[in-house]
Amino acid sequence: MQSNIAENAAIKGSTEENGKLNRKDIVKSWLTWLFFNQGCYNYERMQGVGFCHAMVPIINKLYKDKSEEKSKALQRHLGFFNTEPNFGAPIVGLTVAMEEERANGADISDDAINSVKTGLMGPIAGIGDTVIQGVLVPLLLAFGIGLSTEGNLMGPILYIILVSTIVLGISYIGFMQGYKKGRDAIISFLQSGVINKVVTGAGIIGCIVLGALVANYVSLSTPVILTIGQQQVGLQEKLLDVILPKALPLGITYLTYKLLDKGFTSIKVMLMIIATGIVGGLLGIF
Amino acid sequence: MTVLQAVMLGMIYFLGNSALIAGPIGYYTFYRPLVAGFLTGLVLGDPVTGTIVGATINLMYIGFIAAGGALPGDPCLAGVLGTALAITSHLDTQAAVAIAVPLGLLGTLIWFGRLTISAFFAHRADKYAVEGESSKIWLMNVLAPQSLIFLMTFVPVTLAALYGTSSVANVINLLGGNVLHILIVVGGMMPALGIGLNLRAIYKGETRIFFFLGFLITVYFNLTMISIGFLSVCIALIYMQLTERRESNAV
Repeated sequence: MQSNIAENAAIKGSTEENGKLNRKDIVKSWLTWLFFNQGCYNYERMQGVGFCHAMVPIINKLYKDKSEEKSKALQRHLGFFNTEPNFGAPIVGLTVAMEEERANGADISDDAINSVKTGLMGPIAGIGDTVIQGVLVPLLLAFGIGLSTEGNLMGPILYIILVSTIVLGISYIGFMQGYKKGRDAIISFLQSGVINKVVTGAGIIGCIVLGALVANYVSLSTPVILTIGQQQVGLQEKLLDVILPKALPLGITYLTYKLLDKGFTSIKVMLMIIATGIVGGLLGIF
Repeated sequence: MTVLQAVMLGMIYFLGNSALIAGPIGYYTFYRPLVAGFLTGLVLGDPVTGTIVGATINLMYIGFIAAGGALPGDPCLAGVLGTALAITSHLDTQAAVAIAVPLGLLGTLIWFGRLTISAFFAHRADKYAVEGESSKIWLMNVLAPQSLIFLMTFVPVTLAALYGTSSVANVINLLGGNVLHILIVVGGMMPALGIGLNLRAIYKGETRIFFFLGFLITVYFNLTMISIGFLSVCIALIYMQLTERRESNAV
């Protein structure tokens, strides 16, 4: 990566005339995107204003003050935009590159820029949400939680360091790659088998860790005592604990998953859990 | 709880919701109960309890995915207020979870309000764009919406921390043991919902059996999360090597 940056700086760095971007402009655009992609997150445009804000350092450099082109460029990037912001950073980098080429006379229409943005944001959001929010963050959280429930303060601290480093890395590298390599590189990366392999591998790790979380952290047991003839048999101690300890946590988790999968909202399922707890607790089942 | 402590808890919740800690970095750190609980514990002078309670609350939000602006509860609100409640009233961790999670639902109102009102700022940004005023875009992407978020997050949590936590604790103590028992049962089941939500994202096709594998080896061998983590990486690599070999043999 270091050599790539140096190479990029060598190509882009020294040119200061109008219409050319230098490394500082690109980094400024990336930082603006990183911090404020959801600065004005709203139901109408989602990350639209954030996208435009990230383009401001670029537009300021490429177009003269008070010019028609400048106003057009700002308006071009205020439309609806929504993606996974970190996996989606290459889209912003790519748009920066397209704006630069356009300002330098390349024949790139508004539609071309818009269709690249809107065409990529959906698929990348799907992959990004699965990989980052669906697998990466839950995994790191699971490790952090695993340490923390014993009261180890390194749990949250390690989690903060790991998640920040990885997310920053994905965002920065993606942005710069998007700027340098362009649209075809992003699409061929999306279509290559790499993503699929990562998703499968991460899915396996994720499933194992979720199973372990059920075993370690979902707690449910029953105090029910069966009377068989003269014998008093504790359902939990004499049956469940012998065959499969944590059978009840596994059952409640699987049931929860099935309900969610059938289309029940998380709020409804939460209310069911509360109701189950109240009824079960009052009747002495749990 | 002193006023200063309540103000600092309000700030933790604001920072978790704002874009000021490097956007997604804040969203993946301060916004998560694991971190918010730890910070709340630091403010209240008991970081160890804060970390334990925050981590336990976070189990419910482990599969938290805010896709397309839809939010299944508010982990940061549950993290800050649930931890504060547990520390100030010495409430059992599971019981604090049972109260914190429904509390987190209230946070979705704040989220809904802010995403609705912020559309107004987008229209102001349109006006600046037409005028070519690029230097004013940040007013509508940062200053105005982040000030709105400050008002909508800092104020309610500071007030709730100052006045709410002690009264909730009083009510629970008044209601007595049976209610506490029910809260502990509910709190114990809550992580099932977080795990269920996460399963929806990744419990697919050939990976399904690994969920049960992870459960069984943890139950029978009493493994910690760290050890299961390293084991799972090996298992995933072995599985992928085997399937790759099978595919290349088939060709």
